[in-house]
Amino acid sequence: MDLSFSGPQQLLQQSARALLQQRCPPERVQELALDPRGFAADLWKEVATLGWPGLLVPIELGGSGGSIGDALALVEEMGRACVPGPFITSAVVATSALTEAGGRRARTLLPALALGDRICTLAVLEESGRLDPDVLALPVSAPGRLAGRKLFVPDAHVATDVIVLGRAAAGPTALLLPMNRPGITARPLDSMTGDKLFELELADVETGPDDLLGAPGGGWTLLAPALRAGALARSAEMAGAAQRVLELCVEHARGRVQGGRPIGGYQAIQHACADLFRDVESARWLTWEAAWTLEAGRPEAAAAVAAAKAYCAEAALRVARRGHQIMGAIGYSEEHPLHLFHKRILAAGQDAGDAALHLETVARAIGLA
Amino acid sequence: MDFGLSDAEQAFADEVRAFLRAQPPDTFAEDGTDAGYGSGAHSRAFTRALGERGWLSMAWPREHGGQARPMGYLLILLEELAAAGAPFGPLSGCLQVSDSIIRNGSETLQREILPLVARGEATFWQGYSEPDAGSDLLALKTRARLEGDHWVLDGRKIWSSHAGIATYGTVLARTDPASTRNRGLSMLVVDNRLPGMDVRPIRSLTGRVYHYEIFMDGVRVPRDWVLGKPGEGFAQLLKGLDTDRFWGRVYKAPFLRRILGLLVEYVNSAMPGDAVARRRLAHAATEIAALRALFLRAAWLIERGRPATGEISAAKVMADELGQRVLSMGMELLGPFAVLRAGSRWARLRGEIEHQYQTSWGHTLAGGTSEIQRTTIAVRALGLPAEPRARA
Repeated sequence: MDLSFSGPQQLLQQSARALLQQRCPPERVQELALDPRGFAADLWKEVATLGWPGLLVPIELGGSGGSIGDALALVEEMGRACVPGPFITSAVVATSALTEAGGRRARTLLPALALGDRICTLAVLEESGRLDPDVLALPVSAPGRLAGRKLFVPDAHVATDVIVLGRAAAGPTALLLPMNRPGITARPLDSMTGDKLFELELADVETGPDDLLGAPGGGWTLLAPALRAGALARSAEMAGAAQRVLELCVEHARGRVQGGRPIGGYQAIQHACADLFRDVESARWLTWEAAWTLEAGRPEAAAAVAAAKAYCAEAALRVARRGHQIMGAIGYSEEHPLHLFHKRILAAGQDAGDAALHLETVARAIGLA
Repeated sequence: MDFGLSDAEQAFADEVRAFLRAQPPDTFAEDGTDAGYGSGAHSRAFTRALGERGWLSMAWPREHGGQARPMGYLLILLEELAAAGAPFGPLSGCLQVSDSIIRNGSETLQREILPLVARGEATFWQGYSEPDAGSDLLALKTRARLEGDHWVLDGRKIWSSHAGIATYGTVLARTDPASTRNRGLSMLVVDNRLPGMDVRPIRSLTGRVYHYEIFMDGVRVPRDWVLGKPGEGFAQLLKGLDTDRFWGRVYKAPFLRRILGLLVEYVNSAMPGDAVARRRLAHAATEIAALRALFLRAAWLIERGRPATGEISAAKVMADELGQRVLSMGMELLGPFAVLRAGSRWARLRGEIEHQYQTSWGHTLAGGTSEIQRTTIAVRALGLPAEPRARA
């Protein structure tokens, strides 16, 4: 057992924390959340020069060929700073799927993703709201024509490419389309989390055989591992955000004086903070353990990731919700960052499978018939 | 980052499993109640069997007859034993006291007691709490005064686990009569056979005896049967408390995983396809996994000699509260059968759930209440100001 971060991971954590503190303070997060088309283009460009979007892109395609653990080290820091944007969708989930799929189109796109010049999103969910290959309705064929709609597509306003999962005769099938393909329209969904989610309308979109990502019928096999990496990244993001909420609460409890002493000197507040600590630490290390199972190719990896995602969603939300009580009235105001973390955790909990979906994976893994 | 076992560790885990297969836990005579922490019943026979394999002393330095194995081996041993439901009740006490004796015990203690521990012939009870000193442990009244080569010990301890069937106790006593609070305390090692010891059982709400009350009346303890220097008992206690909390709870995750396995079996046969039960069991599985991860984190910090008080207390709180939730869930899933005791004709899952459920209500009290743990986390790990003490 060795629960220490590698040297490069520590460097990544330190440089990310310093950079994000400076470039992405809560006021910036707030501003981006309130703007329906908010996107920190300057920050994206800056982190691209540092190689962040190419972290998981193979070296021969212009990335740094990092491990999922490297990505998590970064994402934890992004969660701590509540950084919005397409990083996890494009640089973790789409990048994993494209790397796995291979083929000319993917291999052309990946170097551009690594440079941050292009951004790739995913269109998977439909009106059922369920991340389940069996309920996919959108008929796809390539060559052919697409007609239908996808929901909860993240960052479609800044994405240049989209992976669309639909149903072909052979089963779930993935396509890789440029966002400017005629017939694709993105309409923003008005979400309280401040995340940029879209309805993607596909009106008679022409597809060619070249648009296929992976084999017909192999779409879910391709996307499931990528979504697993995404679930892990969201877990780390939530753990990072919860860690910051704990820090904000402890700072507040130390400094806020009522009845002649800091409120953190009263057991009612102390015990609430202690519970936050328990939730943050357990969520964080469960996530890192799951990351290890994935990297080590352990047979229990799928269940471990599912358990981490379900647990982090619950524990991090508990931290945010309890945080509101510790923080008192100031935490209820829009200018205080607490609600940004709370909403980021809500959004992350939904992405790459909600708790119900992941608990079903866990249920099968513990032997429930 | 690596959460896995090395080849040598894996070989040791296999060795423990092979032992448990060759000599199934239920073939060993039990002589004390299972307190529900996951370490099973108290069994001298099983403790001796562990000793025969050299496992009780494997982490000791070689000069004390150990094999100088790293702490990871103890974790493996405890996890494997708990997963199998083995009766290793006295084990964590043996590990803790032998560690204290090696670090802080006199030569006499090392010579007299360590060989017995290694063979599984010495087991221990802790004499900390008193009738008027519970969460406020420093209000203790037990006293020892030096008379020639002996401490003369007078006082009363309570809630000491297995004290009536163990061989030695570690007793916290005030040895400087002029001292108050955390000064002037000493940790004495007391042989149960000494004249003046009166150990009386306390029947618990389970109907069985696990705790004892100990009356000490002029008990003469040899002068060098002290852990650390006289007057340094509080330091011994603090050092011990963190590790007690860790070693006394670390097997709760594999234990709860075993209980969960029983409940999965039950739901599969008695209520297959029940969506609510399914969701609850899966949810509990995620919490048990998170508990284990928290213990591993604490273990990593302990092994590296880094401060781990917050992590250990958090893991203890979580272990004991999660245990109550899992066993409460078990009671609900079993419906009317839940209350039937082990051995009764219609009992489900061998009646294990009702006993473990009952014991779980003591766990958030023992070893420092959950309230004490939370205060410890807040003050010592998060740096929040301590509550002012009431003036005596």
